[in-house]
Amino acid sequence: MELRFYIVRRILVLIPTLLGLTLLMFLLEAMIPPALLEIPYFNPKSGISRTIQLHNAAILLGLNLPLPLRYFKYVWLILHGDLGVMNLAGYPGSVTLAIEQAFPNTIQLALFATILALAIAIPLGTFIGARPNSVADQVGRVFSLSGFAMPAFWLAVMLQIGLGKNVITGNPFGVFPISGSVPDVPIAPSFYTNGITSPTHIPIFDALLHADWSYAWGSFMHVVLPTLTLTYGILAGILRFIRAGMVDSTYQEYVRTARAKGVPERDVIKRHIRRNALIPTVTVMGLLFASLLGGAVLVETVFNYPGLGLLSVQAAINFQIFAVIGSTLVFGVILMVANLIVDIVYALIDPRIRY
Amino acid sequence: MAVSSDGQNSNYYVRVDGLVTRFFTSRGIVKALDGITLGIRKGEIFGLVGESGCGKSVTANSIMDLIPDPPGRIMGGSIFIDGFNIVSDIEKMSTVNVKSETNVKVRRRKRYIKRHNYILSRIRGKKVAMIFQEPFLALNPVITSGEQIMESIMLHDRIGIANSIIRRETIKQDDIDSFVDDVLAAHDPEDRKKVINRWTRQFGFAEIEPSLNDLFENEKNRERINSEIIRIAGEEKTGIKTARLFKARDYYRQLDNVFELSLRQLEMENEQEAEVRRLSSKLAETRTALAKAKQEQDASAIEQLQGEVQNLRKEIKEASTKVDRTEIRSLGRQIRQLKMEIFRKNLPYIIALKLLRKSTEKPFKNEARKRALELLQLVNIAEPTRVIDSYPHELSGGMQQRVMIAMALSSNPRLLIADEPTTALDVTTQAQILDLIKELRSVTDSSVLFITHDLAVIAEMCDRVGVMYAGNLVEEATSNEIFFNAKHPYTQGLLQSIPKTPDGGMKFQKLSSIPGSVPNLITPPEGCRFHPRCAFKMDICEKQKPLLVDVGKGHRVACWLYPDQQKVS
Amino acid sequence: MADVNVTGKMKPAVTAAKKRHPMLEDFSATFKAFTRNKLAVVGFSITMVYFALTILDYVYPAYLGVSNIDQVTSWVFPLTANPPTGPFIIPSTAAATAPHWWFWFGTSLSRQPILPIMLAALKTDITFTLEVVLLGLLIGITVGAVAGYLGGVVDETLMRITDIFFSVPSLILAIAFVYVLGYSLNNLLAALVILWWPTYARLTRGVTLTVKSMKFIEASRASGASKIRIIFRHVIPNVLSPSFVQLSLDLGTVVLILAGLRFINLPIISPLIPELGTMINDGNSVLVGGYWWAVTVPGVFLLIFTVAVNLMGDGLRDVFDPKLRGL
Repeated sequence: MELRFYIVRRILVLIPTLLGLTLLMFLLEAMIPPALLEIPYFNPKSGISRTIQLHNAAILLGLNLPLPLRYFKYVWLILHGDLGVMNLAGYPGSVTLAIEQAFPNTIQLALFATILALAIAIPLGTFIGARPNSVADQVGRVFSLSGFAMPAFWLAVMLQIGLGKNVITGNPFGVFPISGSVPDVPIAPSFYTNGITSPTHIPIFDALLHADWSYAWGSFMHVVLPTLTLTYGILAGILRFIRAGMVDSTYQEYVRTARAKGVPERDVIKRHIRRNALIPTVTVMGLLFASLLGGAVLVETVFNYPGLGLLSVQAAINFQIFAVIGSTLVFGVILMVANLIVDIVYALIDPRIRY
Repeated sequence: MAVSSDGQNSNYYVRVDGLVTRFFTSRGIVKALDGITLGIRKGEIFGLVGESGCGKSVTANSIMDLIPDPPGRIMGGSIFIDGFNIVSDIEKMSTVNVKSETNVKVRRRKRYIKRHNYILSRIRGKKVAMIFQEPFLALNPVITSGEQIMESIMLHDRIGIANSIIRRETIKQDDIDSFVDDVLAAHDPEDRKKVINRWTRQFGFAEIEPSLNDLFENEKNRERINSEIIRIAGEEKTGIKTARLFKARDYYRQLDNVFELSLRQLEMENEQEAEVRRLSSKLAETRTALAKAKQEQDASAIEQLQGEVQNLRKEIKEASTKVDRTEIRSLGRQIRQLKMEIFRKNLPYIIALKLLRKSTEKPFKNEARKRALELLQLVNIAEPTRVIDSYPHELSGGMQQRVMIAMALSSNPRLLIADEPTTALDVTTQAQILDLIKELRSVTDSSVLFITHDLAVIAEMCDRVGVMYAGNLVEEATSNEIFFNAKHPYTQGLLQSIPKTPDGGMKFQKLSSIPGSVPNLITPPEGCRFHPRCAFKMDICEKQKPLLVDVGKGHRVACWLYPDQQKVS
Repeated sequence: MADVNVTGKMKPAVTAAKKRHPMLEDFSATFKAFTRNKLAVVGFSITMVYFALTILDYVYPAYLGVSNIDQVTSWVFPLTANPPTGPFIIPSTAAATAPHWWFWFGTSLSRQPILPIMLAALKTDITFTLEVVLLGLLIGITVGAVAGYLGGVVDETLMRITDIFFSVPSLILAIAFVYVLGYSLNNLLAALVILWWPTYARLTRGVTLTVKSMKFIEASRASGASKIRIIFRHVIPNVLSPSFVQLSLDLGTVVLILAGLRFINLPIISPLIPELGTMINDGNSVLVGGYWWAVTVPGVFLLIFTVAVNLMGDGLRDVFDPKLRGL
């Protein structure tokens, strides 16, 4: 009951931040000379004269209006799902459509990486945190530091060398494809339209829902190496915070109380130390997720994985202003939602923080 | 529990002998406890008093072996709880190599630590329970207070819980008949209530106790009483399948057997290795002395001590070859076999416990919840149903401390250690908590080790008092003796620093304080640790440490002012 | 009681005479705590070696064999006629060589040893990184301290602005910024400084709030010092340490952003200027030919630097975080 109010309030707090984000994006766009903003709207094949087309674009974008009004126009367009146009081989002409195609792939990647990282980091962090300053702890420390320090793009290349299929040299361990996100099947599966699968839009889940095992397996194999690369970075972060939290709560009084009650050592660690150690870890998950998204840009580029990151990089290299701004905005929104989830989880696991 | 050969005086529930506790910090070794010897008799309240930083809390934590390691550890002595020495394997668990004050290497042996923790987890909370100073910090913030109490109940009394469920579910007409007979036989209403109370506890019907009381007061017709009881009791039945509970009870009984065997194994090892242990503790001492001599660059001492170390090593080797391990090994084998057997026999239950934890534990949890509610009533909480589902931060300090006490009492410990339980509370709550502890002592008939720096509280609460100074017990006597016949200068000083109004008027007496402050325990004063602050300092005080000796009527004091007794000992 | 008071007063006077200057004392204690962490010392040393190499690049490039690197058109393809010379460099006539006993790091297709190119790349990478973090630190600390000290509307505005900057992953925002500003190294520098100051501003603001309520600030306020004077003389010197720790960790992050953006071929600098991300990208493009070292070696070189600064930052954090100090 109260939790629901908390969530509603937390969502309301998002609105100013969201406005701030759109303002920032708008200011970036406004720094581009208006002429450059009109040009992408010019379509030579349409038969309408260039001047008229550019004029229409200017009106659509509100380029003739003073800045504050232009900002409202910008927000208006976003609310109507219009993020502009782009002209790039392999992408549809509308930025919204391109993002719609890329978005599920990135979410799939981020989701897998986060889940895998949590699944490894929580038991491992518990193990390490229960033995501070042991050999395992030192190894864990170096491991998590190297995760922070690791250039994600370089690790991606290394994984390609080590585990990727290499048609030329024939890598004996090369079992994973190194490019793309879905298998090359001669006939597109029935649940696949316009580069988007339905109903969840996440390729692997949809394939499983439609019992298309080979497609699911193929998509899975494509996602393994990018996921591993991204997992490493975020895993390091989670591991470090769980470890620190464990060490911190080990010396708390309630742990001594648990021991004084006669709780067996294993349960002391699991029930009393770890539960409290997870609270600070949850609070930093938002930051870690941000770094994960940043890493996704590089990793998607290396693996030619058609997600938002690849879209924004290709747009940036090929001077597609609307796609750059649009994908940045969407990344911001993803991060905001992630932070919202983090806050809700935080309220759920820490009874003290609520409301 | 089997009583060990050196179980000492059976009057004592807990006996601490020559307890030495050290903290190895980066600044040096803190000599926190320096050979504490004290005993707590059955059913008494023993007070421990002294300035802050004198080692009261360390003593309390040491008795339950709750010293955080690192940095602290118990280095020697023995702690007998109910005749069993819980620190007998302390040397086996780890070897401490003191190279210098700040450079200490500790090697731990996992196998022994594991067994030690296992045995202690069965003793802590069950035989000795503890209440801490700051209930807000001592309760886990993310678990409800009820669950924290239930956890403690479920840890130590699974069999009892299972029994009471089984008894309730399989209650027979005969049981009710004999119960009604018993009640009607008692004419005094107080006696009746006691009988009803006993019966309801025994059969897990605590909730219906008030209605039974009413029933017996208002109803005289035997037949109707009988049918009414059956009706009330029937409502309480939950319809759990008892077959499963029988299995669970057997499982926990078998686990208890493993515990008994482990205890026996440990005791056997101790008997066998007593000589080796004595020698190795001597070796450790000599090594420390050697390290000190090396620091002071005392060539002759170094040579002599090195020789001693070598001799001791040889002796240890000889002694350890004499140890006959066959018996210990066979016991170890027996334990392993028993464990395997339990595992094999109870595999379905264990699997259910792992996979369907919630549903398997449910009957236990429900029962534990009932008991937790009872306990909360016992500690005078007005709304137990609200408190049981609250998180600690939602309760007031006094409430938190009551929850703490309920938790400590959950498995009827024979000793309750109260480590300054009222310091963090406001004055009115303090009085309530003190009354509660006193009251509970008379109800549950357990002993209390009461730690405080407040002499007034001591005077009110305690039967006997120990006075601590800088890691030593300097005086121990009955409450009266301490207050009217204090022997040690430190105790006298403490007493003079209490505000008093001698003739009951508002005339304030000038307070005197003991000059100076508690010494730094990394470099404690030589000899008697109190001598730098003592008004009666003599030469011998700086050189030799006085022993705790009897000066009559069980009054013991460690001071060179009473030299006759010192000589005798 | 009187006695105690006298000794209470005497004590600090006696000890103060023996002790060194308090700041020096503090520094030496910090240094001691830092050196206790061996890994941190290793990290610090490696970072210093990288910095020293960068300085050498500026002062005496020939000594590192990187003098005429600027004329190298592409380090992968054999376009240059005169391979560079220097004490570490032995001209070779062989084709691209894998690492062996003479060329520890292998050579490029143009038969240049990779090491001097990597050293030249350090100049680009580390200079850029230091510029970003130091400028960001300067702006962030000033803004953070002012906002934290003044409080009220100023503080609220600052927090909202930083919220917006934190709402997008920094690498992605950096791409958008540098796109809008136009691709060049200086514009990337500007973009990253714009993105980086909020981190320091937030950290500084947090500490300023605690420092603000301390006695010595009150004392100087009571003695009539101006707000500006208090902020710069008293507040800022006392709120540096968390930003300092963050800075050492950010060295790694920023260098990875530059290398990453170059790796994905964002035309920030000419591909002819040695830069580690560019080198890895070049190596990646010839990877299928089996030239594994062309991508591995620069990557490891970069990784060592980032690991080192992270070790150093980690050690610094342990020192400055009083909670962890005792352990």
